Amino acid sequence: MIRLRGVTKRYDGRVLFAGLDLDLVPGRTTVVTGPSGCGKSTLLRLCNQLERHDEGAVSLAPIEIPAGLPHAAWQRRAAELRRRTGMVFQGYHLFPHLSVLANVTLAPRVVQGAARAVAEAKARQLLELVGMAAAADRFPARLSGGESQRVAIARALATEPEVLLLDEPTSALDPASTADVVAVISDLRRRGVTQMLVTHDPQLAKALADELVQLG
Amino acid sequence: MLRLLVSLALAAVGSAQSPLPQRYRDAGVLRWGADAEGGAPFVFVDGTRPGAGEVGFEVDLARELGVVLGVELRRVQAPYESLVQVLDRGDCDLVLNGFEPTPARRELVRFTRPYYVFQQQLSVGPGVTGVRGLADLVGRRVGVLGQSQSHQVLLAQPGIDIVVYESNVTAYEDVVNGRTAASLADLPIARALRPLFPRLVDVGEPFGAYYYAIAVRRGEPELQRALDEAIGALLANGTLERIYREWELWVPAEARLGDRDVVDAFARDGDDRAAAELHWGAVLSLLGTGALRTLGISVVSFALAVLLGLAIALLRLHGPRPLRWCAVAYVELLRGTPILVQMLLLYYGLGQIEGLRLDAVTAGVLGLALNYAAFEAEIYRGALSAIPRGQREAAQALGFTGAQALRHIVVPQALRLSLAPSTNDFIALFKDSSIVMVITVVELTKQYQMLANATGRFIVLGFVTSGLYLLMSLPLAYLARRFERRLDRDRA
Ligand SMILES: Nc1ncnc2c1ncn2[C@@H]1O[C@H](COP(=O)(O)OP(=O)(O)OP(=O)(O)O)[C@@H](O)[C@H]1O
Ligand SMILES: [Mg+2]
Repeated sequence: MIRLRGVTKRYDGRVLFAGLDLDLVPGRTTVVTGPSGCGKSTLLRLCNQLERHDEGAVSLAPIEIPAGLPHAAWQRRAAELRRRTGMVFQGYHLFPHLSVLANVTLAPRVVQGAARAVAEAKARQLLELVGMAAAADRFPARLSGGESQRVAIARALATEPEVLLLDEPTSALDPASTADVVAVISDLRRRGVTQMLVTHDPQLAKALADELVQLG
Repeated sequence: MLRLLVSLALAAVGSAQSPLPQRYRDAGVLRWGADAEGGAPFVFVDGTRPGAGEVGFEVDLARELGVVLGVELRRVQAPYESLVQVLDRGDCDLVLNGFEPTPARRELVRFTRPYYVFQQQLSVGPGVTGVRGLADLVGRRVGVLGQSQSHQVLLAQPGIDIVVYESNVTAYEDVVNGRTAASLADLPIARALRPLFPRLVDVGEPFGAYYYAIAVRRGEPELQRALDEAIGALLANGTLERIYREWELWVPAEARLGDRDVVDAFARDGDDRAAAELHWGAVLSLLGTGALRTLGISVVSFALAVLLGLAIALLRLHGPRPLRWCAVAYVELLRGTPILVQMLLLYYGLGQIEGLRLDAVTAGVLGLALNYAAFEAEIYRGALSAIPRGQREAAQALGFTGAQALRHIVVPQALRLSLAPSTNDFIALFKDSSIVMVITVVELTKQYQMLANATGRFIVLGFVTSGLYLLMSLPLAYLARRFERRLDRDRA
């Protein structure tokens, strides 16, 4: 599982973390909390290498990504790592030119080479799981925030990642939508999906955390 | 001084019989229309000597006519193809510019007695053998200036593959390049251009007898008669011969200028003959063929422009540094220079190199594509930059490589953003495509010009031609608007 060892991250010479260790526990949900600007999102993005670290190592056995790799080698390993993780963004980032169904099937088809029929059957199951089966043929511009976030979760799960990373998945949502999304995340937690969730909402942290990491 | 006196005396005599209409005498000016771009020896700008300015045998002739008529002759610049219209609109009073009294022109304007007899000269390329005259040209490509007397002569000889040019220089250029086997030209032009094309070989003696005459508006017989007498005076006192000898244009055939049948060749009684009926079947088939060619050229060149433009935009944003610079240079170069120059370079410039001699349609399509690619590249660059960073990150987080993210996520969205501006560009290209006529491609606009010049029916044919353009471009405009609306909806 994802493991950080002695990870240091600096922005413009300012140290955000120094020598941080972190182990995600398989089958459990790790919640990261802390005040705004303390580096929660950055920590999450280090886990799938959307950000590079300055010292230490990030690994997901057998992939090992020490700091300071040459760019090409880092790119290769980072892409490999990302193929085994899923990510849900605060702002959804659905692909607006694709239908809900195509949003979910694109990565399996392009990255994993899945056949269309297989990918679609799988995608419909996932949409069922997040309660969005009826929206398969709609386009993202026609979805509410909560619906978008649930589709984003289905999209992230479609490549069968070993771990799901969620960055403030509810902070842009109204209470009703938040409840829908939290229900989905709780459901995944019950099913034993390994998750790492960033939030600044203490209530949400308490409700969802198997492991709690306090930053800042 | 003596000559001036003689001229004045003649002018006095002339005015006694056929005076210049009062309004011209009051103004003291006759404006003559001519195209200085037509080149030597008619009216041209001499760039080889300091301070020479506008020269030509017609400049000298105009000056002498002014002396005889007692007014100043002031030149008005107008494109050769539009001289009749410029005259009709009243922007000049007469046309003096190697103007041949073709039947079509005689429908529209009134001609004076001829002031010059010209003949035809056939010239072949350096490697061409077995051509002794027109009869040997059957099955060969022969270049000629569009709407010229030479064009008519070639049309009268069946079986020749005629290539129509915008200028005699480019027609000769292609003979030297080997794109055509020969070119037929009016003798004065052939003589004047000979120093520029030392490798051309003149074949046979000059032949035929054709005339240059001055054109005036139909409703001005008095002006015509005044000019007739002035020309007669200049012929009688030897001024014409002196001018033509100075320009090395005097040929034995000039002796006929005084013959009665030559003098009266284009005289008209003043009544308006009915304009010839257009044969609409033939006209529509010609214009339709031109329209199809315009459409074909536009579609193919725009498709190429889109592909090339996208490649350039991607290189500029995501390519390795040296290629990025190349992309920037390409865009600035092609956007910053006139497409006309690019087109001429592509066809005539490259044409001088053996392996790079493109045929006209290929060069036209390529020229339009290369030019429009620069504009498309800028549209796509803007659209690519407008796709939010989060889109690429989301793709990366799913394990896409950089290239996969571009191909499946960024480019498709950018293309959708570009649809409306791109479609507008296509409409622009569609209309710009008439520029390929400068490299001998006969498309809709060129076909219109040729038909209108041959029949004199500029207005009705102009409406039909515009209608054909609209018929093709309106659906495109409609599509562009639909794309825009659809995009607004997607963003809602
Ligand atoms: N690309 C960057 N360049 C420079 N500084 C950055 C960059 N990204 C983040 N930071 C800084 O790093 C710090 C941590 O940012 P991060 O987004 O991880 O915080 P966060 O805990 O997620 O905050 P929030 O709760 O507001 O989302 C902030 O001070 C931020 O300004
Ligand atoms: Mg954050």
